[in-house]
Amino acid sequence: MTTAARADIVANVWKIVVREGDPVAAGDELAVLETMKMEIPVIAPSGGHVVRICVEEGQIVQEGDPVVEIDGTPGA
Amino acid sequence: MTQLDLAALDATPHRSALTQRRRDRMAHVEPRGARQHTARQRVELLVDAGSFVEIGPLRTADGKGTGVLTGWGRVDGRHVVVIAHDAAVASGAIGAVFADAVQKAQRLAIDRGFPIVYLNDSGGARVPDGVFALHGCGVIFALNVEAQRRVPQISVILGPCAGAAAYSPALTDWTIMVKGHGHMFLTGPDIVKAATGEDATADEIGGSQLHTVTSGVAHLEVEDEAAALAETRRLLSFLPSHAGAPMPFAPPAEPDQVAVDALPFVVPEKASVVFDMNRVLDGVLDAGERFELMPTHAPSILTVLGRLDGRPVGIVANQPGARGGILDAKASVKAARFVEFCSRFGLPVLTFVDVPGFLPGTVEEGRGVITHGAKLLKAYIESSAPVLTVVVRKAYGGAYIAMGAKSLGADFQWAWSNAEIAVMGPGGAVTLLHRRALAAADDPVALRDELAAQYREEVARPYVAAESGIVDDVIVPEETRGRLADALRMLCADPA
Repeated sequence: MTTAARADIVANVWKIVVREGDPVAAGDELAVLETMKMEIPVIAPSGGHVVRICVEEGQIVQEGDPVVEIDGTPGA
Repeated sequence: MTQLDLAALDATPHRSALTQRRRDRMAHVEPRGARQHTARQRVELLVDAGSFVEIGPLRTADGKGTGVLTGWGRVDGRHVVVIAHDAAVASGAIGAVFADAVQKAQRLAIDRGFPIVYLNDSGGARVPDGVFALHGCGVIFALNVEAQRRVPQISVILGPCAGAAAYSPALTDWTIMVKGHGHMFLTGPDIVKAATGEDATADEIGGSQLHTVTSGVAHLEVEDEAAALAETRRLLSFLPSHAGAPMPFAPPAEPDQVAVDALPFVVPEKASVVFDMNRVLDGVLDAGERFELMPTHAPSILTVLGRLDGRPVGIVANQPGARGGILDAKASVKAARFVEFCSRFGLPVLTFVDVPGFLPGTVEEGRGVITHGAKLLKAYIESSAPVLTVVVRKAYGGAYIAMGAKSLGADFQWAWSNAEIAVMGPGGAVTLLHRRALAAADDPVALRDELAAQYREEVARPYVAAESGIVDDVIVPEETRGRLADALRMLCADPA
């Protein structure tokens, strides 16, 4: 089952830290958003492997938009 | 009198009739559905062992009882009034007699100055009682509001609560919900389906997740009934019995030494980097228990009960670790409600500020962020309890004012030496003030950085605020606890 790490605030995608296929653990930083001059980390809600990057750097995301999708296979 | 005489006496008709009536009313009823305890067991779990005294135990509406258990008991030795819906009697529906019993208990609490704990588990107004049920519910609401000015009120949601059983909690101070079988809604799934055609589960309409994360109708979600009652006791331990009553002091406890040593390093130098504001609270407040209200709703602001020098205090703090610590409509309402509560019961409000601003844009304007932000301003302006404010990093624009600024009546406001206080952050300000120079520059990026650094030093540094007397002093993190404690001792001292 895939789960998405979502944007928790309207923001600009500043940088994407992971690549598709990377193993991740719950709590890992996947991407960093920029809003109100603050660097807002997007955190993995659970462990697994990155199956899809849903955004591009520089793109605007709305609150609730998926940023990175992770599958449930055992990660790092 | 001998044993034999007493046994003979108990056999007399008037004594045996009373014994039988008591036995009937106290008959054990197995908790129904997902319920873990009967109404009486819930009350006994809440109060100190053996301290519950029921009011009108023989009162009844239709031979089975009133549907509500009312009385008083003690929590940590202090009296509280308890009103516990009994779902075993007509699903705890609120009839005329039920409502009258609740009102008598509310009146007792208001007159004597005891907190009220409502253990709610009721389907709402009792249909056969018609207007008498509605009138009774309305009088309960009116007494909820009268009690607001006098005593703390806590509602615990231990079953499906519809209509009046959901509205009354909204007129009390804090609502605790049990995960799974605690529900609050205007009306349940069947009537929703009939009224609008919407097909939704009880959890979707009024579960604890909805109300503690999204709607903010309830303020704490707990795993089971025992946890709900234990958390209610813990919440009461921070509160006076009534407005103007002595505070429940605990022995002062210095903060954990590791947290104290870390305090000067908690806030990152760079204003854009997030951190956990709880680490600041760890290094400033007394070690030991804190009680966070609404931990999962609008998490960019923290509302916490804690202690300083043993004295209960309310803490409002931006949380940069969640959504950058911004203020928005929900965060404003959350903080405003908390400040207003603290004011009513004389709890000093300690405000820790690191806020990038109010979140702008279509979504927030559509949610009425102006109206809701104004509630936060009003709550601080009207606070009759001491307000002490510490700017730990940045405080920009309207959000600087809304976070308990001196202009709103803070008794004291301090800034840490790295603080920045300005109408907007250096980046935005420089773009606005030096538009032409930047457009004409050979290297606009270098010029912008230079101008931003100049702005930060000349305009935003806290010495501007301190020299003008708007900030009372510029301090380093490790001085914070002492400043707060000294000020509280003075502000809370009995007048001569």
